Amino acid sequence: MLPAYKGIAVLALALFLAALLQAEGLRKQAEIQPSGFQRDVALRVTKPLVSFSRALHLTTPRHELQVAIGRRDEDRIDTQVHLNLNLPPPATTPPIVQKPKLQPKPVFTAAHPLRVWVAGDSLAQVPGDALERLGGAIDVVGVESRLSTGLARTDLYNWFTRIQQASRQLHPDVVVFSFGADDAHDYMGGAHVGPFGSPSWIAEYRRRIDGVTRELNAEAIRVVWLGLPIPDGPGFRKSFPVVNTILERVARAHAKDATYVDTWHHLDDFHGRYAQYLRVHGKLTQIRAADGVHYTQAGGDLVAAQVVTQLRTWYRLRS
Amino acid sequence: MLFPTVTFAVFFLIVLPVSWSLMRHQSAWRLFILTASFVFYAWWDWRFVFLLAASIVVNQTLAVAIYRSEAVAARKALLAAAVAFDLGVLAYFKYTNFFLSSLDNALGTSWIANVTLPVGVSFFTFMAISYVVDTYRGELVPTTLMRFAVFQAFFPHLVAGPIVRARELLPQLDEPRDPRRVDTGRAFFLIVTGLFLKVVIANHLATHIVDDVFAAPNRHSSLEVLVAVYGYAVQIFADFCGYTNIAIGIALLLGFEFPQNFASPYSAVSLQDFWRRWHMTLSRFLRDYLYIPLGGNRKGRILTYRNLLLTMLLGGLWHGAAWTFVVWGGIHGLGLAVERATGWKPHTRVQAWLGRLLTFHVVCFAWIFFRADSFSRAGDVIVRLFDAWGQGSPLVTTSVVLAIAVGVVSQYVRPGAVTPVVSSFQRLPVVAQSACVAVGLTLINTLGPTGVAPFIYFRF
Repeated sequence: MLPAYKGIAVLALALFLAALLQAEGLRKQAEIQPSGFQRDVALRVTKPLVSFSRALHLTTPRHELQVAIGRRDEDRIDTQVHLNLNLPPPATTPPIVQKPKLQPKPVFTAAHPLRVWVAGDSLAQVPGDALERLGGAIDVVGVESRLSTGLARTDLYNWFTRIQQASRQLHPDVVVFSFGADDAHDYMGGAHVGPFGSPSWIAEYRRRIDGVTRELNAEAIRVVWLGLPIPDGPGFRKSFPVVNTILERVARAHAKDATYVDTWHHLDDFHGRYAQYLRVHGKLTQIRAADGVHYTQAGGDLVAAQVVTQLRTWYRLRS
Repeated sequence: MLFPTVTFAVFFLIVLPVSWSLMRHQSAWRLFILTASFVFYAWWDWRFVFLLAASIVVNQTLAVAIYRSEAVAARKALLAAAVAFDLGVLAYFKYTNFFLSSLDNALGTSWIANVTLPVGVSFFTFMAISYVVDTYRGELVPTTLMRFAVFQAFFPHLVAGPIVRARELLPQLDEPRDPRRVDTGRAFFLIVTGLFLKVVIANHLATHIVDDVFAAPNRHSSLEVLVAVYGYAVQIFADFCGYTNIAIGIALLLGFEFPQNFASPYSAVSLQDFWRRWHMTLSRFLRDYLYIPLGGNRKGRILTYRNLLLTMLLGGLWHGAAWTFVVWGGIHGLGLAVERATGWKPHTRVQAWLGRLLTFHVVCFAWIFFRADSFSRAGDVIVRLFDAWGQGSPLVTTSVVLAIAVGVVSQYVRPGAVTPVVSSFQRLPVVAQSACVAVGLTLINTLGPTGVAPFIYFRF
């Protein structure tokens, strides 16, 4: 038993010491917060904390432990947009002059499945799981969903680095991306742009989507961009269409090896409004989660079915 | 506000010293702690603070009316009104969607609703029910509105328990806590171990095997599915026990004692023993406010079995508005009834170990229904346990096996074994104590996966 004031002292000092020992982790936590008052305060507080901690070498134990468990770069903030822009630009005019040869679609079976990698923000998880459950000719080599990340805030999580790694490690034939729900920031890591939706923001975001598509296509990997579904309430009503338009246009520009799945109109009701329930196989089914953004399992199944329909335009999938 | 976050650390660093400085001035203290609790709750969704406030006012009004009323019929009517209000709130927020979709399946209706579940609604509603029922039974004299409000909204237990009874907490709220004797050693031990269980063990298992396997069991080998089932058993224990440990530790630092909620549940020798060790405050709530009022074991064998089954089915439904939870409750209810019918009790060491092994596996089997989001998924998990042996199992890694082993072995640590550690810690100077806690927090934060997953029991 201790007097209360000593307990308070132990707690305060412990938190201060812990903050020093984890200063770089706290700095990253501050950096990756959404823009606003909390982020500004957190950045101001953690800046001197990191300097002080580094001066005393107090960041070393955590770093050594991270190296030991194979998470060396966890506190690093990587804002580089890794895009190989030396690739040839997509054809803007139809190049087909001669009569196209009818080529058979590549065939995939359960024994020789199509390798699909699903990645993106939290909206990627449920459709990814749904695709994974389909099995048969589709082999989902990974579903990677990272909450509140996207292609805008590279400081939060650098998908550009991850996409390059994944294409080398997983060797997918197709990648299915769901990005954009968390990209409506005025601040875009790795680039100076205007506010969300401004021409400079749109140009930079389009450059990123286009760059990812071109890079993957150059490696013979086809890309499926999942559009953002119609949301409930006004929160995302303005931002989702901006992103969807960019995704759709980029996919159209790379129509041979990229496609766009329009989930907005696929999941709205007959009047074009948000629907939490739709009738699926004659049964009233909840397709959207209570937050008005995410999919339920049934909603994920609907999106996955749309993806498969798109895949069938490229491949013959035999289960 | 989640416990393992910087936001909560800042919140608590403000609340703790202010709470102790106001402790001698009880009216000011109550006002402060109630405000702090409302801020804590409003951090999720400020609109539901009104629901909490309404629950406080209605239950207090009816409890006082019950206490003042002398006519039996009037008391019964008031009690019925209070319970109907509480269960009505619970039914509306937890079961509207479930009820309507079940109705749609049965009758082909097209009624839909979009109801958001307020965090912790079950917990604070159960506490209110116990307060009103205890008043009706004459076991409690209602307190003032302010004291009751602090009792029901006290932030350490507000969102996921433990379900504290009025007669446990109200006497503590009636008198200032002694600032000269605070059990800080036990408090810090509980907070650090709770964080370890939640951040390192539960989050690691969730992100490295359980979520993947339960999302698509047919894509995984039998070994992975088996390890995921064991993994989920450890995950849910580490998640919920971790949360409760932190809650009890925080209350201790504020000078309050909460009841224990877990006592090594996976070392139970029978299901009856398991329910004496798992979510103990819910078990006793169900016993005292459901099982015993139903008749308990006083009305013959058949009705005892019925009461056991009914209590567990309703206990299952309390966890969530889905038939999978009902099946989970049904398995436990049936198991308890079978134990009661056979009168099985271990008499030797070998029998005790056999009992532990069997109980653990029945509990794990029931967890499959608890975790799976549909019957078909639960069926997939069960079938997959048998039909895909010999396949590669990349998810069964050393760290996953280690996390499960830590979770299981921790069940067999004697309750008194940590007392010398806590005593030694408490004898250290303040700076050394702080250093120990800081190193613990750093290890936990570094070893745990990135991000803060919500506690499983928040949605109940």
